Amino acid sequence: MAETVTPDLLPAAAPVQHQQDKPESDLEPGFLVVCWNDPVNLMHYVTHVFQQVFGWPRKKAEFHMLQVHEQGKSILARDSLEKAEHYVHQLQKYHLHATLERDE
Amino acid sequence: MGHREKDLFLEVLAFYPCTPPAHYTLSRKPGVPNAEAAQHLLDEALAEQREQNRKLLQQLMLDFARFQVQPTGLRLVLSEVDLEWLLQVLNDVRVGSWIKLGSPEDSDLITHAFDHLTDEKRPVLWAMEMSGYFQMQFLKAVAGG
Repeated sequence: MAETVTPDLLPAAAPVQHQQDKPESDLEPGFLVVCWNDPVNLMHYVTHVFQQVFGWPRKKAEFHMLQVHEQGKSILARDSLEKAEHYVHQLQKYHLHATLERDE
Repeated sequence: MGHREKDLFLEVLAFYPCTPPAHYTLSRKPGVPNAEAAQHLLDEALAEQREQNRKLLQQLMLDFARFQVQPTGLRLVLSEVDLEWLLQVLNDVRVGSWIKLGSPEDSDLITHAFDHLTDEKRPVLWAMEMSGYFQMQFLKAVAGG
């Protein structure tokens, strides 16, 4: 196989953030974003996704990735229902095994 | 990448979409308000993403200018946005292939796959491994390595 040349990357536009008015209950923290371990998602990929979705620096993303890998899961965020749902949607778009759970 | 590598890359992408929609569940335990509606919202969002990624893939496969000819082979030019949806597509193929192989939980995934390999499963194992290979190549590019 020929030597692999890594793709060139062009800079992207900055992400746009939106805020909406919501009932107070939806804004109260009380829901967890949990990422679960599985044997198929690559560790480097998981780290990258955490950086993308949460805007974390690499070290923090790696910490949570290793928690998933070694402890079977990691709680990535504790937030309002709306925000937690948003994060789970984003993580599942990357096909990570992530779920929304009520904080008990 | 070499010309053969480009062909392999496009062959892997052709497996998309691979992960069955039923694989995605919003929550593992009860306690989420309006759980059914929330699950439906997730299903819709992912279906929309699949459709969008399918269109982007079609464009990529027809856009030969993306693969610039170099003395050593081909250079694939991607924006950071392109990279992200391609990573999502590749992981869909990887996870979907794993599911088709029976979602083995063994620590040595490949050994398990080979132990239970059939003619039908052989291309699925290939897709799972090759999608992982290209994921790592793109992630190296992101890291600047």
